[in-house]
Amino acid sequence: MGLSPTLVVDIVVGGLITGGIYALVALGLNLQYGLMRVLNVAHGEFLMMGAYLTYSLHTAWGVNPLLTLLITGPASFGAGLVLHRLLYARVLAGGEAAEALESRSLLLSFGLLFVLQNAALLLWSADLKGYSYLAVPLRFLGSVFPANRLVAAAVALAVSLAFYVFLQRSFLGKAIRALMQDPEGAQLAGIDLSRVHGLCFGIGIAMSAVTGSLISMLFELTPFIGLPYTVTALVVVILGGLGNVVGSLLGGLILGLVETASVYLAASDIRLIASYAVLSLILILKPSGLFGR
Amino acid sequence: MAGKLALVLLLMALIAAPEILSPYHRSLALAILADVALAVSWAFFSGPSRYLSLATGAFFGAGAYLTAIVGARVPWPLPVLGGALMGCAMALVVGALALRLRGPYFAVFTFGLAELAKHTLIWYETGVTGTVGRLLLAPPGPWTLYYTVLCLAGLAVVTALLLRRSRWGYALVGIGADEERAETLGIDTTRVKVGTFALSAAFMGAVGAAMAPRWTYLDPQVFNPFVSFQTVIMALLGGATTVAGPIVGAVFLGLASEILLLKFRYFYMLGLGLTLIVVVLALPSGLAGLASRLRPSPSPLPRPQP
Repeated sequence: MGLSPTLVVDIVVGGLITGGIYALVALGLNLQYGLMRVLNVAHGEFLMMGAYLTYSLHTAWGVNPLLTLLITGPASFGAGLVLHRLLYARVLAGGEAAEALESRSLLLSFGLLFVLQNAALLLWSADLKGYSYLAVPLRFLGSVFPANRLVAAAVALAVSLAFYVFLQRSFLGKAIRALMQDPEGAQLAGIDLSRVHGLCFGIGIAMSAVTGSLISMLFELTPFIGLPYTVTALVVVILGGLGNVVGSLLGGLILGLVETASVYLAASDIRLIASYAVLSLILILKPSGLFGR
Repeated sequence: MAGKLALVLLLMALIAAPEILSPYHRSLALAILADVALAVSWAFFSGPSRYLSLATGAFFGAGAYLTAIVGARVPWPLPVLGGALMGCAMALVVGALALRLRGPYFAVFTFGLAELAKHTLIWYETGVTGTVGRLLLAPPGPWTLYYTVLCLAGLAVVTALLLRRSRWGYALVGIGADEERAETLGIDTTRVKVGTFALSAAFMGAVGAAMAPRWTYLDPQVFNPFVSFQTVIMALLGGATTVAGPIVGAVFLGLASEILLLKFRYFYMLGLGLTLIVVVLALPSGLAGLASRLRPSPSPLPRPQP
């Protein structure tokens, strides 16, 4: 098969669109794992919840899907704060060995996954739900892309970059980076570990939910869409290195490109197998991540 | 003495059960026995070693699919033996690769295994053999299945009891407490870990193979991550570091799911998630741990004062 210029544009732009979305989900997961060692396997379930919230607000009251970000973001941030206080802070305060803590918080996340997924099944049923928004074709370098995809990817990238700037410039951002680099030293310098943990958990979950709101404009929803995104985010986080924000951004874009290329050049059903294979290979060959220290 | 008598009575009741029970209750007993076998064999590896394995669904699925492929072409106990070998072989490969990973990485890797197996099988069946599933014709009778699974559950319990008192059992506890120290003390940690992991996987594969004839039609969806979670929840609910714990957990959840799963499916699953959260937060050593905490301990060991 020849690689025509249009096909290259298709793959590159399509890959960056997918990758921008992946980067935002992965950034949220990395914030939770890189800082607190809470491997939140329910991360994608918050994406699913955000997507349904936007769907309901849009279809019931006609709220513009992009405006719902202003609701899903703060709401999920609040939920994250509460969940951290109720669940994870208790486990982390237990003072056990690091590995036992990680396993226990992993189990908590699995519990959360069950709860959220089945709550969604009760609330919205297992039927496909969707709506159409900005589904107009846009010409771009000789290729055609739906406008909603470009908008979603642009918003996702903008949020990711805004967070990066926040991390570099703001006082809280500096505290977060200090905790990632050296938890003990940062605490000696007067940073309140538990408070920053809670905030980061909330921000991480808000990123996932906001991504979900964006995704609801593109795809039909079921209560089961969360887990594949969790797996993808895990692959990206492991690819980019734990606690490495730039690594997550780049990793997301790279994975988006690789996946889009494999779908165009091979077959679409190979996508999930490829994700898991990449994840397994990296875990076995380099457990600290490709860009990790 | 009373305990031994109760055990003998329980065993006799289990052996006589198919004669007494209605077909419905026999099938319920079969499902619970299979859960007991899974939970006990999960716990004798993951309990002491603290390696949180989510590969149960993968080994169970491999055994079940093997039965579906060989069908009625081989006489009955052979598919179960084949399932055990299959689980064992998979665990040897996966264990050699993945047991170097610690903490949640191991859990994630083993969780991915069932999904990887499922999607590879779907891709293979649709692309190469052109089928999407397998029909199980002429399955063995329900009595045969019951006694097969009863044997497996009994074997798993005996293995767990023997392992606890063996050098390997102590080595596993040592690995769970501090792997580096265990290695320094001369334990061949890789051999102990991979060996026990393979042994537990053999049971899971065998249970999968033995339970397959309950469904008349099998497709790659039998690689179900839910099996992995349910096993973990059963073992943790009962208490993963004891032998009785996983049995208690399996019986409890087996009955609960039978009563609730069909009528209130989503509420049941939601409740299962909440149970897991509560167990992790409030009952770190499971129901068995709770029982031993309530019972006054005969002679508390004096704690050395620092």
